[in-house]
Amino acid sequence: MNLTIAGITARGLFGRRRFLLLFPLPVLLLVLTLAAKGAGVAPDHWAPSVIDGMGFAVMVPVIALIVGTGVLGSEIDDGTVVHILAKPLPRHQIIVAKLVVAAGITAVTSAVPMFIVGVLVDSVRFGVALAVACLVAALGYSGVFLAMSLLTRRPVLVGLLYVLIWEALLGNVLTGTRVLSIHQYALTVTHAIAPNDLIKAHVGLPAAIAMTGVFLVGGALLAIDRLRSFSVAGETS
Amino acid sequence: MPADIVPTQAAPVEPSGGVIHDIGYQRYEGPRLGRGYAARSLYVHSLRAAFGLGRSAKSKIFPWLVVALVFMIATVAVAVRGQSGTALLGYLQFTDTVSMPTLLFLAVVAPELVSRDLRAHVLPLYFSRPLSRSDYALTKLGAMTTAAWLLLASPQLLMFIGGVFSRKDGMSGLLDELHDFGQGVSYAAIAAVAFSALAVLLASLSSRRAVAAAVIAGVYLVTAPVAVVLATLGGAIGKVSPVINPVTLIEGLERWLYGRNTGVDIGDYGVVYLAVAVVLLVAYVALLLARYRKVAA
Repeated sequence: MNLTIAGITARGLFGRRRFLLLFPLPVLLLVLTLAAKGAGVAPDHWAPSVIDGMGFAVMVPVIALIVGTGVLGSEIDDGTVVHILAKPLPRHQIIVAKLVVAAGITAVTSAVPMFIVGVLVDSVRFGVALAVACLVAALGYSGVFLAMSLLTRRPVLVGLLYVLIWEALLGNVLTGTRVLSIHQYALTVTHAIAPNDLIKAHVGLPAAIAMTGVFLVGGALLAIDRLRSFSVAGETS
Repeated sequence: MPADIVPTQAAPVEPSGGVIHDIGYQRYEGPRLGRGYAARSLYVHSLRAAFGLGRSAKSKIFPWLVVALVFMIATVAVAVRGQSGTALLGYLQFTDTVSMPTLLFLAVVAPELVSRDLRAHVLPLYFSRPLSRSDYALTKLGAMTTAAWLLLASPQLLMFIGGVFSRKDGMSGLLDELHDFGQGVSYAAIAAVAFSALAVLLASLSSRRAVAAAVIAGVYLVTAPVAVVLATLGGAIGKVSPVINPVTLIEGLERWLYGRNTGVDIGDYGVVYLAVAVVLLVAYVALLLARYRKVAA
């Protein structure tokens, strides 16, 4: 962990217009919750689609995708990554700093609206459960998307494929793929902390926690390895 | 040879003044292929580019991955139908099943067709030809629509051939099958037009392909859950809300036009779906044309 790298990363993230993309989804989530609550419909009708369908399936991965591919990807894109690589820093310090910033920002921007939604829907306990689940998901996604930004030149696209095809499409058709889906781990964590009928878990809690760790550590190790042999290339095709 | 031009071979007569040599440049006197020809060429080129034909192997990966996926689904449908006799997947249902891969195909290909030209600043080269700005925009849209339609309709042709051979009721069965197939490909055309108009418009706003792809996928990603949540509220809002998402909009339209239960509850508001679809299409095309009237060439 290197505080200077973390500081530069955070500044680079907040200093871009891209950062504004983080806000519409949480706002939309809150607006929908308030609208549904205002309409007076029972929460079991709309809460699953707000919390699971909108929150965990879309908001958390999209925020994680924007942040996770932005912390290193934008520096690779504009070429300034060379300045960091030229410093006598172990690669793991760079990756860990980036990962902490990515997971931290993702967790805060997604956990706060989810906590409010949880409190509005059910109880403070449910809100806490959702917030913790957001943190878990943020850790897993950040590991994957950070590694992705080093493995491919189009990390956003590959990340979207993972979210849309693997988690959304195959998660519903081939239920076995749920074991490898961060989305499902978040649902499991929610269910473990605040068991109710609104959120259904499909993966066991030990498996969910272990697999999140695998995604996080695996992504970090992969990223460190790729950064060791990183070659600065110009824009191709 | 005009009299006032000094032949090359002649020795320079006036050492002080300049001399124009005739080095044999010739005017083009062949036929001039006009606007239609230019548009047609651009259309064919764009349609080929949509599938990466004539491009590097790297740009073929994604389009053909999607093509392989949709044909795989169609093949499974044909095999199951041949073995069990009942259709697992109808023609209309096919388009809905593959709508997600199709959207991703559009998210990747539409920026490939449109954003690349913006980024490379080659539009002045296009517009210095007889091709007008609106010709360019409409041609690109046409190529994108055709590519999306081919992606949706050609697997259905496979399903049709398989279906005809697995039927045992002769001529009436063939006509029956042909009717279903016609519905399927016409619905595929509706889907192709609806998706492409939005995708090309969004792609034309950004010169960065990655950004354009993310925006196109993002519009779907964000509107889908909103539509689902609003639909659970019931009432008139719940029945009309699917129109905000391109996929559920055409599914609602499908239910109204062809009467297939698509899971989208449209109630008595089928006309609203048609009206919204038409208004959106007109708006997308108008905005696209406006964009290309303004774009820096």
